Amino acid sequence: MSSRGVTPTEELSFDGYRRDRGSVGIRNRLVVLPSVICSRTVADRIADAVPEAVSTPHDHGCAQLGDDSDRTERTFVGVASNPNVAGAVVVGLGCETIQSGTIVDQLRERDVPVSEVVIQEAGGTEECYRAGVERAEGILANAREEPAGPLGLSDLTVGVVSGDFRPSSLGSADPLVGEAVDRIVDAGGRALIAGGERIDSHGEAIADRLATDAAEVGFEAVTTGTDRSSPVSSPRQRAAASSFEEVAAPWNDHPIRDVLPYGASATHDSGVALVDTPSEFGEAATALAAAGAQLVIHVTADGDPAGHPIVPTIKLTGDGATYEALSTDIEFFAAETESDALISSVVNTARGDETRSEAHGITTFAITRVGPST
Amino acid sequence: MKGIVLDDRALLMVESDTVATALDDLERGTELSVAAVGSDRDRVTLTEDIAFGHKFAIERIDAGDPVEKYGERIGSASRPIEPGEWVHTHNCESDRGRGDRTAEGANA
Amino acid sequence: MSEFAGYRRDDGRIGVRNRVAVIPISVAASTIAERIAAEAGAGVTSTPHQMGTEQPAAARAQTERVLTGIGRNPNVGAALVVYLGTEVADVDGIADGIADVGTPVETLSIRSAGGARDTVSAGVSIADELSDEIASARRETADASELIFAVECGGSDATSGIASNPAVGNACDRLIDDGGTACFSETPEFIGAEHVLAERCADEETRRRLLERVDRREAIADMMGVDLRESQPSPGNKEGGLTTIEEKSLGAISKGGTSPIRGIVDYGEPLPVGGGLVLMDTPGYDVESVVGKVAGGAQIAAFTTGRGSTTGNPIAPVIKVTGNARTWDRMANNMDVNASTILDGEPIDSVGERIYETLLSVADGRPTEAERRGMEEFAINEIQPRELEALGEPV
Repeated sequence: MSSRGVTPTEELSFDGYRRDRGSVGIRNRLVVLPSVICSRTVADRIADAVPEAVSTPHDHGCAQLGDDSDRTERTFVGVASNPNVAGAVVVGLGCETIQSGTIVDQLRERDVPVSEVVIQEAGGTEECYRAGVERAEGILANAREEPAGPLGLSDLTVGVVSGDFRPSSLGSADPLVGEAVDRIVDAGGRALIAGGERIDSHGEAIADRLATDAAEVGFEAVTTGTDRSSPVSSPRQRAAASSFEEVAAPWNDHPIRDVLPYGASATHDSGVALVDTPSEFGEAATALAAAGAQLVIHVTADGDPAGHPIVPTIKLTGDGATYEALSTDIEFFAAETESDALISSVVNTARGDETRSEAHGITTFAITRVGPST
Repeated sequence: MKGIVLDDRALLMVESDTVATALDDLERGTELSVAAVGSDRDRVTLTEDIAFGHKFAIERIDAGDPVEKYGERIGSASRPIEPGEWVHTHNCESDRGRGDRTAEGANA
Repeated sequence: MSEFAGYRRDDGRIGVRNRVAVIPISVAASTIAERIAAEAGAGVTSTPHQMGTEQPAAARAQTERVLTGIGRNPNVGAALVVYLGTEVADVDGIADGIADVGTPVETLSIRSAGGARDTVSAGVSIADELSDEIASARRETADASELIFAVECGGSDATSGIASNPAVGNACDRLIDDGGTACFSETPEFIGAEHVLAERCADEETRRRLLERVDRREAIADMMGVDLRESQPSPGNKEGGLTTIEEKSLGAISKGGTSPIRGIVDYGEPLPVGGGLVLMDTPGYDVESVVGKVAGGAQIAAFTTGRGSTTGNPIAPVIKVTGNARTWDRMANNMDVNASTILDGEPIDSVGERIYETLLSVADGRPTEAERRGMEEFAINEIQPRELEALGEPV
């Protein structure tokens, strides 16, 4: 039985990992999260020592102010409670602005198995490393890996990063993603669209398509925040130069059931939500992971080859030259791909097949800043 | 070490300072001689525990008056501070980088 | 005269390490650069960062300046520049800027190499070849006057202003007496102490620029509409007894010593050799701040910390100095110099002498604790859109 009471057809079903917190993951990762750049080296070392572990190295966590600091903290909590996460070890330095203990408290509230190690409390980097490895192994030993299945498209939350607004993306890749999103949403699943530039440049059209109170509130929150005062970036200029039909293609103009600030977790039952993140892959994938995506489809004209530590990523390009140059990193060339193949790839990835970026192991993790370092 | 050591247990950076720094974890009730530093009194009795590195007042500081260390203003008393009292964020606030005040002013 | 042995570069400058730097142009090449450095032999380090492929012009200029400066640092014997192939940043300009000082540079495009996996294997081969190429370099005698010494404080507590900062300041004075350059930065940590620094400026122009930069950093709190105390002082600073930014600043500025201030340069801008005491306008955020000074040419850094910060740098050795006896005891594996003896009566001058000796021996090749443990944190300060707007910068 699917968790949503729909029996999936055999070819579109998969097994997952059921979490105590109610979600189902398609990977079983232990995340080692540094609360500040100063503890990232130790976090990386802990993750390297534990096979199931991944780290989320970043440049932030201290000397941040106001909404810039809030967003980083929210993102930490969101990422570590992603459905693919079996548990988390939070690594602090001790003196930083965003304290590891605060993150741990919020993760406990969300029923995420979590443990904290702090360099200054442990007595240095070596002691902290050893304690971190022990804690990580302890969490994994205690983790109840409740298999969940068979699951279907209705159990999926798929993230979409398509924000370069290049002709090849708009012309062929985005409509293909839209067809796949159609299938998932029609089956009762969820799609989370990285939408920062879209909200910036087509706010009125988006406002007309908000289908729930939550979406109205979310849209109001992200468009009246001081964040929006940022000057025009190149992707935003290209988004503004595109029609709404073009920028809405990745979700095939389904009604918008929620609008989420960067780092927030999705709570809608099914359908499409927009996430307020810029299109840079690492930053966007992190926002979608924090929102609860189990996997991400990345439309890339440039061919950024990196995956993400938390969410497996399927790469798609509309640019023939990019596909030719990077065919070992990119799953699909849009012009030669049917939506059935993309859906099969989504399901196979959910079943555990490695994506190309999972196979080569190059991942990127980044968080969008909205204020300067102090 | 620069400054004036009080009974081996606290440090006044400059004679005119109104706060001294604990060089050890000091217990409430500890008496320290401040006669040598031109205070208006001979001794200060700590009215609460003062942790290593933290500050206590060596004279009364009225609300709004400057708190001085290194011979310089490090902030203002946000409420009256008695001699021997711990001086920290609960009773001493920064006068600089107050974007919160600017925001309040803009919204007023 | 104080001497050490270092690596003489073609342009006459002296390096204290002989590293191959793997420098990514954007976030899209960052993890691949890290992987290359990890898989290549010893002495190959990477400078991963999160700058995007399409930054606004002013932010991009800063990224380009830092990446070029990192490659030009005399500790870099050779550089490998890795990029996706679609970045707006001027890859050739960065590579040429590095090559201008005589440093061998190779570039590697992920798109041209055929993807992530092939880029890593090609990059490892190139990095190892570069390592072989520079392996013949031998240390030769150099003078302390050729050193640019970066000074940082982080994870400060009350002991920083009493012990470790004045002691490092004493070492700065010694180096400047010997004809070298010392640089401290962290402009938010001048707030409340700028009048003291202003009096020490060697000329009116430096004084004016210093005060203007302090105003600009203080205005960040206005821009964000919050009290600076949300981040300055940090929670650890407060736990360690520091109450306000003014108090933190008054303790922080002593790490630069007592020499006249000869100038103030922008983030990542070149620092002069034999320049005396020079300031750099950086955030207080330690890793970004150290990187700015290393991009400016600093070969070596001292970092004071009461609470116990453990960070290093991939290009320059970082000497950790603590004035807190408990931190020295508890975190001995991450600390290089104990300055807490000042609280027990050791004169500042004597600890300053120990730090100066440590500086010369680390310049001579002795590894720091951070180097021993592979602590190589790296981040570039990004000029945020709100800042660009406030500065009236074109986008």
